[in-house]
Amino acid sequence: MSDMTRRQFLAITGGGLAGSSLALLGFSPGVALAEVRQFKLARATETRNTCPYCSVACGVLMYSLGDKAKNATPSIFHIEGDPDHPVNRGTLCPKGAGLIDFIHSPSRLKYPEYRAPGSDRWQRVSWDEAMERIARLMKQDRDANFIAKNAEGQTVNRWLTTGMLAASASSNEAGYITHKVVRSLGILAFDNQARV
Amino acid sequence: MQRILDPAQIEAFSQRDIQRLRLPERARVFSTRAARLRQQSESGAIGHAIGDYLRLMAHLADAQQIAVTNIEPALPDIEQLTHARTFHMPPVGVTSWRREEHWLRSLDLICESLAALPDVPEQARAVCDQLRDLESQQLEALADDLLAAQTSAVDAASAPFIMAALQVYWVALASRMNSDAIHELDVPGVCPTCGTLPVASVVRSDSRSQGLRYLHCALCATEWHMVRVKCSHCQTTQGISYQSIENGPRAIRAECCDTCHTYRKILYQEEDSAVEPIADDLASLALDLLLSDAGYHRARVNPLLWHPS
Repeated sequence: MSDMTRRQFLAITGGGLAGSSLALLGFSPGVALAEVRQFKLARATETRNTCPYCSVACGVLMYSLGDKAKNATPSIFHIEGDPDHPVNRGTLCPKGAGLIDFIHSPSRLKYPEYRAPGSDRWQRVSWDEAMERIARLMKQDRDANFIAKNAEGQTVNRWLTTGMLAASASSNEAGYITHKVVRSLGILAFDNQARV
Repeated sequence: MQRILDPAQIEAFSQRDIQRLRLPERARVFSTRAARLRQQSESGAIGHAIGDYLRLMAHLADAQQIAVTNIEPALPDIEQLTHARTFHMPPVGVTSWRREEHWLRSLDLICESLAALPDVPEQARAVCDQLRDLESQQLEALADDLLAAQTSAVDAASAPFIMAALQVYWVALASRMNSDAIHELDVPGVCPTCGTLPVASVVRSDSRSQGLRYLHCALCATEWHMVRVKCSHCQTTQGISYQSIENGPRAIRAECCDTCHTYRKILYQEEDSAVEPIADDLASLALDLLLSDAGYHRARVNPLLWHPS
C-alpha cells in the first residue's frame, strides 16, 4: 500500500522540471516551458441528472462548458446516458437521446404562464401569482367536491375532482414529500411521470 | 411476496454487468505504450516539446516489452490469495509481496539496450551504466523507496529505469492472475492487484465498457472501474471539473477536484482510440504546468517522470 504523505501532492512547476528525470537525463524542458505560455485552460463539467420524461428515470450525464466560478452561464453541449447508472447502463430511448434539443428549444417553458379561458395566447405570470391562483382554485374545488363519507357512512375523506402530475426526475425523498402533500389533501389521482 | 434486499445484495446486482477489472495483456502493454509515446512526440502532437524525452521513453518501453516476454514469475498460492482476501489486501501488494530477482534481470536488460542506442544523451547513458554497476542490495533499497512512494528519497534520474523494471515484473504477475482472485479493497483509489496509486483514468469505448471509467495502475497496468464524475483521490462527487488545453487534444483532460485541489488526468478513448494512460499522461506535461499555475496538485507522479519534492 502506498505511503500517502504530503510529499506526494506534487505541483509540477517550471522550477521543479529543472530537477526532474527529464532534465537530469540530459533533455531541456525549455521548449515545453516556452510553449505552455501560449496555452490556456478550458473548463468543462459533467453533471449527473435524471431524464425528466418517464418513470423509468434513466440516468444521464450532461456535458457543459463554462466556468461556474466566473458566473458565466454554463452551456450544455452534449447529453448521453450515464454508463454507471443501474437502470439504463448508458442507454437512452429516442426521446431521452433528444434531451439536448429539449434544453435549447426556443419554446421551452422557463416560467409560469397562464392562458385565460377563451383566450388564444399565453401570458407570463409571476410564481407568486401562479401559486396563489393554483391554491385558490384547489381550495374552491376541494370545498365543493370533497367527500368525507361514502353512501354507507364510512369515512373516506377523498377528493376525486382534482389530480396531480408530478415530475419523473424526482428522488425518493421528493416522491415521499409529493405523496404526503397530495394524499393529505385527499387526492387519489396522481402520477410521477411526464410521458403523457 | 415482497423481499427486502440488503444493501450488499443491491450492490451485487448493480455491479453484475460492469466489468470490474481489466487485467493487462503482456503481449502488448509496453509495445502499445511505445507506439503512443512515439506518436505523441511527433510534430503537432501534444508532447512534441518534450519529444526527445518521449522517444527515449519509447525505447525504454520497447525494452520492457522484450523483458516481459522473458520472465515468468511465481504467482501467489491459494493460501496467500485467501489471506489477501480475508484482510482486504491486494494479492501482490508492493510492500507485502516478496518480489523475486527477475526484476533485476529486466533492469539490466533495459539499461543495456538503452545504453546501446546511438543518440542517447550522455547523462542518460551514465545513469544506465551506474545502475548496472550497483549491487542488488542497493537496487532493492532504491526499489523499496520508489514503491513506497517516498519521493523525498528518490533519485529522479534513475527512478524511471528502476520503475520500468518493476513494471515489467508486476505486469508479468498481473497479466497471469485470475481476475476472480483479485477482490475489491476497502479503499477504492488504489490498485486492487498491487496497491499502487493509479496514474490516470481512461473512459473506455469498446462495446463492453463503453463510457465506463477505469483507473490505470502506474505499476502493474491493471485497470479497475470507478464511477464517472467522482474524485479518484478524495472520492467526493461535488465540485469536479474537467480541464484541458484550449483547442488542444479533446481526448486528454484533467479531472480536477475543488474539494481536495487534486487532479488526475482522464483520457477519452472515444475521442482518440489510441489513448494510453502512461504515455498520454507524460506527453501532456503542458497540462500539468497549467494546472499547477491554477493551484491544483497532481495525485501521483508519472512513473516515467519524477520530480524533486
